[in-house]
Amino acid sequence: MTKDSSKNFEPNIVAFLCNWCSYAGADLAGTSRIKYPPNIKSIRVMCSGRVDVVFILESLRNGADGVLIAGCHPGDCHYQSGNYKTNRRVLLTKKLLGELGIEPDRLRFEYVSASEGQKFANVVTDFVNNLKRMGPIKLPREG
Amino acid sequence: MVKQKILEVKNSDVTGTVNDFLKNLLKSGKISALLVSQSVPSRKVVFPVLISDPDKLDAKVFAPLLPASTSKIVSKITKFQPSDKPLGVVLHPCQIRALIELVKLNQANLNNIIIIGVDCLGTFSLNTYADFPEKKNPIDFILDDFKSNSDKSEQFLRSACVVCNQPVPINADIIIGLFGMDINKEILIEAVSDSGIKILEDLKLDTFKDVKKREKYIEDLIGNRTKKLAAFIKDKTGNIDIESLTSFFDKCVNCHNCMNVCPICYCRECLFDSSVFDAEANKYVKKSESKGLFKLPNDSLLFHLGRMNHMILSCVKCGLCEQGCPMNIALMDVFIPAAENAQKEFKYQPGKNRDEKVPMVVYREDEYVEVGEK
Repeated sequence: MTKDSSKNFEPNIVAFLCNWCSYAGADLAGTSRIKYPPNIKSIRVMCSGRVDVVFILESLRNGADGVLIAGCHPGDCHYQSGNYKTNRRVLLTKKLLGELGIEPDRLRFEYVSASEGQKFANVVTDFVNNLKRMGPIKLPREG
Repeated sequence: MVKQKILEVKNSDVTGTVNDFLKNLLKSGKISALLVSQSVPSRKVVFPVLISDPDKLDAKVFAPLLPASTSKIVSKITKFQPSDKPLGVVLHPCQIRALIELVKLNQANLNNIIIIGVDCLGTFSLNTYADFPEKKNPIDFILDDFKSNSDKSEQFLRSACVVCNQPVPINADIIIGLFGMDINKEILIEAVSDSGIKILEDLKLDTFKDVKKREKYIEDLIGNRTKKLAAFIKDKTGNIDIESLTSFFDKCVNCHNCMNVCPICYCRECLFDSSVFDAEANKYVKKSESKGLFKLPNDSLLFHLGRMNHMILSCVKCGLCEQGCPMNIALMDVFIPAAENAQKEFKYQPGKNRDEKVPMVVYREDEYVEVGEK
């Protein structure tokens, strides 16, 4: 995948998907043959609350241009409160990314239920378009 | 009962006066042991000691030095089991705030702990203190500076102390007060909590009268420091972007000292000390091939950003990370603005309210709906 800032830039996205909702939502998008850009690399987690900030930073450091976290709608978390806590953590991480000169919008948190195949496709399409506008991530040459 | 009393200072010996007061507390059995800073045998620096014999007490309560996180020491003492006997701990205001955070994080227990807070004149770095360039010793220097209302000591203060706008203890049981006092003559002893009142109630001391003067002094001081803090944040925030951030951490040797001395970093096994980021040789080679080169060790920025995300909402801006850095990286330039801005976002002030939970363990069902539900 190209990493230059030309028009053909295709962003790399790491997507952490909740086992109970968003992963099934992505599945539904597939079985329903809904089209969405192939830029995401999905990782299934048992709850969006499992996503630690280190996962996000490690993804960005290893070549992701954006990180998507998708979890259950408010009130629907399989473990009662995981999605609420992710919400807070994402807000903090966005704030700090902004402080440090990385665009906060490279991190995105969405609620996608198992029945929302179309919403999943919309979210991914929208995110890819946004990242294309932002261009490749500028990170220090660390590794 | 009168909550604010005065200790009469004899021969302008401020330290001695406070020591007599502390000795009395130990002798009367109101506290069984006292955690306080005292000179080490070389007399070069002071370090916290736990004293139970009043005759061995030679505390340096006003020494402008914070050699180690005293809140972490209280955590070490109490985290397995609360103390059976009353234990006095003399702490700087920032360390009281850190201790409150550690209690919220279940790392310390305040049962039978009497927190004695001291009005903080600021602290020097360990190196500055040990090899103090002036003729006087650092304690006399900072007290004389305070008496004469000059700011000569500011050049020696740690950067965190220069912009500290919380130099008055909050959440203490007893406060030893200097601000707004004529310390050649008297020092304030204030009981703040119930256990503080119990300790002071039968001490025969004069009542403190000049409350207005102290309040005015503190108001001016905090106002002044808040302005300095705002200017500091404005100055530093504009300068940080991802390019400068990397060069900022260029000198980092990955010793993780900032983490070890941080009062808030309490994890017994830190993720960044573990081997989760290690990989097989082939993966390193593959990474190198994808970019042509690969810097090693490769996780210093990940460590700092990751650590910042984990502890920043509880950061009390004590600056121990900066003091502990062997490469003299000015960590406060990044951590103070980040802490201020992140805490503002969550409307959270670390160390302020004992009953308020840390933001990352609570939630409201209706909050931040703009992230997803519209």
